Amino acid sequence: MKERQIDDQLVIYGRRFSSRLLLGTARYESPSLLDNSIRAADPAMLTVSLRRQVAGSPDSGESFWNLLRETQRTILPNTAGCLSPHEAIKTACMARELFQTNLIKLEVIGDEVSLQPDPFGLVEAANQLVRLGFQVLPYCTEDWILCRRLMDVGCEVLMPWAAPIGTGQGPRNARALRELRERAPNTPLIVDAGIGLPSHACQVMEWGFDGVLLNTAVSRADDPVRMAGAFASAIKAGRSAFVAGPMLVQETAVSSTPEIGRPFARDYSTRSGIRTDSNPSSSIHPLLKSGVTDRVVG
Amino acid sequence: MFVIVNGETRPLPEPQTLTALLISLSPQAPFAVAHNEEVVPRGDYEACRISPGDRIDIVHPTAGG
Repeated sequence: MKERQIDDQLVIYGRRFSSRLLLGTARYESPSLLDNSIRAADPAMLTVSLRRQVAGSPDSGESFWNLLRETQRTILPNTAGCLSPHEAIKTACMARELFQTNLIKLEVIGDEVSLQPDPFGLVEAANQLVRLGFQVLPYCTEDWILCRRLMDVGCEVLMPWAAPIGTGQGPRNARALRELRERAPNTPLIVDAGIGLPSHACQVMEWGFDGVLLNTAVSRADDPVRMAGAFASAIKAGRSAFVAGPMLVQETAVSSTPEIGRPFARDYSTRSGIRTDSNPSSSIHPLLKSGVTDRVVG
Repeated sequence: MFVIVNGETRPLPEPQTLTALLISLSPQAPFAVAHNEEVVPRGDYEACRISPGDRIDIVHPTAGG
């Protein structure tokens, strides 16, 4: 069992991680809150972006970069906000030069209201970036055909959304997400976007997803550091539950406590209508008279 | 002559290299540069010649999700 746990690592393009949480670095109230949240979350990767310099911004530039470097986490640049394959590819190339990594979280947004990925632009951009030597982690929907096309062009990891970015709604389409997990059993799948609560993260990990990428759920919590720790625990719990193998759901109640040897037991088979007493009401258990069942449930 | 740096038109005294332009702009490190939308590797700044109307983009790390 110990060996199984040691081997249970997240593998992204050959890189191995003990943590299955990927943490975004945006929308924290202060650099120290970001720093402490990173420590509490213990993430495998940190997502970052690139922009033209904004004077006086606390979450960009040299100090921001030094903070991230000191955490010694793997950096995952994104192409956030890109609306076309052309824009995303140019941004990815700039990110590679700036961050000195081939990893790229590929976003090609198709709708500026829902921030839903553009499936056509996403496949086109992924195809070109893979040819340019990038290790692409596409932010996508749970659509199986889209996911298959992304794998066909060389994406070794997929990042389907749970819900639109920043909404915190949790998995909107649970059935399709679980079907995706079943259809792509050997592809690392990281649920990205729309997670709001640790229970959402735990849930998708229980379904067998390989990791969770979070940002707003931590950074906009009243206490981001505590929430970062809560997510770390939830993701570990969900993963452990998946590895442990959940019980099968049953259609009817199954007593967990042995029935044999129960003291003071009487025959209450009248509930099935077979009792033949002349005065049934006198021998029925008091709880049954008031409509409460006496099944052993614990 | 004029060049466009991060979307803003700026005067330049004469055609020069990207190295010279960056010295005059002194952007805060770390940064990456694109010349007419093509990334310029750090080692190629001196060889990159700036012509009138060229577009230069300088980007920095920023927070992202």
